[in-house]
This record gives sequence, C-alpha cells and structure tokens, in this order.
Amino acid sequence: MRPEHPLEDVERNLAVPPRRRLDLLEEVDADAEALQAELERRGYGPAQARRAALRRVVPGTETLAQLEAQHAPPLGRWARSAGWIDRVERFGIVAATGLAGAVAFVTMVGSGPLGSAAVLAWPQVIVVALLAANWTRAAKRLWIDGDLRPELRRRLWERQIGLIVLAVALGALGAAREGYGAFEALAAEDFAPPAMWDAVRRIVSFAALGFGAAIFGLFGWLAITPRLIDDETMEHRISAFFAARLTPTPSRRR
Amino acid sequence: MQVTLSKRINELLVLAVLERGPAHGYQIALSVEERTGGAFSFQHGTLYPILHRLEIGGHVRGTWGGEGRRRKTYELTDAGRAELAEGAAQLERQFRVLLELFGGTHAA
Repeated sequence: MRPEHPLEDVERNLAVPPRRRLDLLEEVDADAEALQAELERRGYGPAQARRAALRRVVPGTETLAQLEAQHAPPLGRWARSAGWIDRVERFGIVAATGLAGAVAFVTMVGSGPLGSAAVLAWPQVIVVALLAANWTRAAKRLWIDGDLRPELRRRLWERQIGLIVLAVALGALGAAREGYGAFEALAAEDFAPPAMWDAVRRIVSFAALGFGAAIFGLFGWLAITPRLIDDETMEHRISAFFAARLTPTPSRRR
Repeated sequence: MQVTLSKRINELLVLAVLERGPAHGYQIALSVEERTGGAFSFQHGTLYPILHRLEIGGHVRGTWGGEGRRRKTYELTDAGRAELAEGAAQLERQFRVLLELFGGTHAA
C-alpha cells in the first residue's frame, strides 16, 4: 500500500472543478515545501518543520468550504447567492417531468392513450424522463457544483448509453408491432385507406419517439463532452502530480 | 460582525505585507506572523481563501511562475493599494471608537 500525500485528503474533499483543484494543490504544495525549508533554516528539525508547515498551509474543513464557495462555477455561485442551490435539483426534476409530459402528450396524439400500443409507448415516455434526469444530474454536477468525479461520471455515462439503447429498442419494437398489426389487417383484407394512414402514422410516431430520444440523449451528452475531456485531462495531471510527489528522488525531502 | 471584522483585518494584513513587494503565499503567512509578533497567524490554509478573494476582487494579482514546478506569486494592484489605505483609515476610526467606549485609560 503506497503512502498517502498530505494533500490527497484535500483533493478528495474539495468539490471544485479539477482545473481549480490542481491549481490549489500546486500552490499549497509549493508553499508547504518552501515553508518547511524556511523553518529548517530557522532551526526546526526536518520532521518538526514538515509538521509545522503542513499545519499552516493544508486547508482544514472550514477553509475547504470557503474555497468551494469561491471557486464554484459562475452558475453555482449565482445559485448559492440567490439561495437557489437547494432548489436546483427540484428544478431539474420539474424540467424532466415537464419534458416527459410533453412526450406523453405527443405519444397520446400519436398512438392514442388507451390503445394496446400504450404498453410500449408509456415505457418510452419513462425512458425520455430518465434520460433527461440523468443528463440534468451530470449538468448540475458540472455547472452548479463544478465537480463530477470519474466514478460518478462513468456511472452516468453507462446509464445514458443504456437508456439510449432502450429508447431505440422500444421505438423499433413499437414500430414493428404496429407494422405487424397493419400487415395482419392487410392480409385479412380488412384495411381501408384511412386506417392504413393511421397505422403509418403510429409506426412513424413510435420510430420517431425512439429515434428522437436517442438523439436527445446522445447530443445532450455531446454538449457536455468538451468539459468532460478538459476535466479528465486535469484529473490525469492531478494523478501525475501525486505520483511525482510520492516518488522519492535524491533532491526531494520526504 | 466579529467574523466580518476579523475577515477585514486579515485582508488588510495581507495587503500590508504585499505593499512591501510581491511574495509567495507562505512568505505572506510568515511575514504576517512576524510583523504582528504572533498576534495574527494563518493556520490550516486560512490564508488561501483570503488571497483568492482579494485576487477575484482585483486587489492582488496572482501569477504563476517557476521552472519545472509551478509557484504562485502575489503582488498588490493599484486597487489593492487604495483598498489598504481606505481600510486602514476605516479600521483606525472603528478602533478609536471602541477604545473610547471601553475606557479612556485603555485608549491612552
């Protein structure tokens, strides 16, 4: 088990964007090392100087809270100052529900609320709501809290992909079911032109809803991808920072 | 009120140190401690939110430098110099009032 750097705890607990986190880690670490050297020049022993330096510069819990408030993304700072920070998630839920409601309306118009097709149409509505909620959670972490850690990021991405696949599958299944029903009616020669157009409309509506949900899920994630790439680059640099600090070199005092 | 006043004093202490010239964070912390005879000291990284607040407010300017390893240096801006003068005068007035309130003998 490798030894832990005194700033790793700060890195874990400081909920600010990785770029800010790296800046702070580098600043504090450079100060800690220089302060230790200065205290040693003043007669402290190495271990005593190290402890004294760390006690002065390593942020405590209260300091971390202040730094988080300072370095939160602009939207997050605004939400905090306006007292909206606790309402953001509720707002996200309302937005996701609203979107699902709109999709439900389109579904009702497309396939009829009480038809047998509702068995597949309503799960589609739920999938859209879940996609919206998943995206909102990621966006909130990025632009309100400023901190979306790799593990949660991976989980949200996997969920997003799963929901996209489910949306497409439900759309395809619904369209196929409607198509099969129309084909059966056609085979039974019980198919007037208006009924045929109605069947086409329902097939298209199922396919469009599935496809639309997939596009929404995919493009929604694409919109946050540049920020995710930037965060990942910074996280690699943070890992490299700790790896370098924990690698003993002749010139570095431990 | 107490928190606000202590926050204000800390900010002015940092600005006063930087008035002498650019410095790294640890140098500011040491200098404050030495110049106040240990009456004020920054522990547990409390210096950083103060520095960053002053930087966001445009009172100090932080620049990254150093070869291989990045180090941040802070320097006072014109706005910071003005803030220091105004803040020091304001504090002087506040403390004079307080000392008069606590008794003339302490003020003397």
